[in-house]
Amino acid sequence: MNMLREQVRADLLAFTRRPETLFFTVFLPVIFLVLFEAIFGGQSVTLAGGDVVAQSYLQVPAFMVMGVISASFVALAITVVNRRETGTYKRVRGTPAPAWVLIIGQVVTSLVIAILMVIVMLALGSFAYGVRVELDYLPWLVASVLIGAIAFSCLGMMLAALTPSSEAAPPLANVVVLPLYFISGVFVPIESLPSWLGNIASWLPVAPFVKVATWAYVPATTLPWRSLGLLVAWGAVGLIIASWRFRWTPRRG
Amino acid sequence: MTPAISVTGLIKRYGDRNVVDGLDLEVQRGEVLAFLGRNGAGKTTTTEILEGYRERDGGDVLVLGEDPATAGADWRAKLGIVLQESRPLGALTVRETLRLYAAYFPHPRGVDEVIALVGLEEQTDQRAGRLSGGQQRRLDVGVALIGNPELVFLDEPTTGFDPDARRQFWDVISGLRDLGTTVFLTTHYMDEAQVLADRVAVMRDGKVAALGTPAELQALRGDVEIRFVLPTGLALDALPQLSKPALLTGGEVRIETTAPTPDLAKLCSWAEGRGLELEGLTVERPTLEDVFLAIAGDQAEAAS
Repeated sequence: MNMLREQVRADLLAFTRRPETLFFTVFLPVIFLVLFEAIFGGQSVTLAGGDVVAQSYLQVPAFMVMGVISASFVALAITVVNRRETGTYKRVRGTPAPAWVLIIGQVVTSLVIAILMVIVMLALGSFAYGVRVELDYLPWLVASVLIGAIAFSCLGMMLAALTPSSEAAPPLANVVVLPLYFISGVFVPIESLPSWLGNIASWLPVAPFVKVATWAYVPATTLPWRSLGLLVAWGAVGLIIASWRFRWTPRRG
Repeated sequence: MTPAISVTGLIKRYGDRNVVDGLDLEVQRGEVLAFLGRNGAGKTTTTEILEGYRERDGGDVLVLGEDPATAGADWRAKLGIVLQESRPLGALTVRETLRLYAAYFPHPRGVDEVIALVGLEEQTDQRAGRLSGGQQRRLDVGVALIGNPELVFLDEPTTGFDPDARRQFWDVISGLRDLGTTVFLTTHYMDEAQVLADRVAVMRDGKVAALGTPAELQALRGDVEIRFVLPTGLALDALPQLSKPALLTGGEVRIETTAPTPDLAKLCSWAEGRGLELEGLTVERPTLEDVFLAIAGDQAEAAS
């Protein structure tokens, strides 16, 4: 346990000292939320069920999800590829440290950052935009964010396993998530998409995550079990492909 | 006690080529062994098999009494490894890096002790990414020493160093020897081997082509070269009879001899008897560099 604690401590320290990852993970979703609130904050959206809500109720959880995905998927994939390609992992594999310390350490680090993002977004939504989560629904929000963060950590490991070089990691990660943000209800309400696009998106991992997190803010009568199940399934896919293709040593040489 | 490293008939194939081709080697405990060879001679492949990173295709290997291919975490706790290419996490300081690696080992050395061992006291709170190349490499060695290893592998640790950094690094390795640590040092610098190593193994064509102390290796090419300028007005046949024929190139006489003392005595009494001064008289043993060049073969041969 001491080993894991030191690993997480070191990983978090390293994370906070890399300004570019800090910016993309923590600040970018916050900047997006502030901008979107400034532009669309006063508008209302008619939900599929016919209810009308202020758009802020959709935007706050959507950018919260974006922050969590940045931490668990984008930042994780970039870090893992980087450590593989610079020989850091190879080096640690030459010590008695078991492999799980590196992997769990990295995932726990992502979870810590994800929780931090949730707190920032909860506070911002609540104090700046008057969007509150009822206390009863808070456990659901925390649980769904944790499940989502773990699922996207698995997908991040998968992406890392499939990424050939350090240089390719940041563009690849962004090429994957940016279009998904557009079609999954982060930048644009999912209701305003053409239905075929919405249908495709609903099977991909981002939309279910947004739906599950939004439920805490805009509770409907039924819990979004299907979305939660999809999220877990995607996590499992990521985990299987990651453990099949993962390697500790650099790809070149 | 078993030897630190014992290798017999090691074979590693890439495609249909034997990169390591029946290598035999034994390294005693507490010894500093320099492992030399041209690029492509199979040094890193051999080293990585000993470290447990690569699998072998044949032969027996025991490192600290265990087979690296099957040894576990307890075995790795007794090793320190400096890879040919690896950078510590650039965002962590020297102290933070060592603290993290200390947590991986069951009986680590103190962080401050290791910082002193590798001479990074001034850089303790500096981030690894901002250290000079030589300092980063010393941190690398520090990381290899933090677990209090019995055996340390160093794969070309001083490549790209300036002379100052190299000398500082040598002090670190000498310090290791004093601690009784076994060191397996891969290098292609002769001077490094000469200064640091108890014994030198030269690898060629996937085998150990020569093995011995630096002095023994030098003795392999025992010819000592005597040179002086031929006194004016004399021909080569005016010289006394020596153990080997003298050669004349550009006015300079060259004798490669295995019996330098009697040859010199004859030469000197002959010159003194005639009141001659032998200008530019030098007596030189071949350097380890010369020996290495002769044993390791030329670049093209090693690569074939």
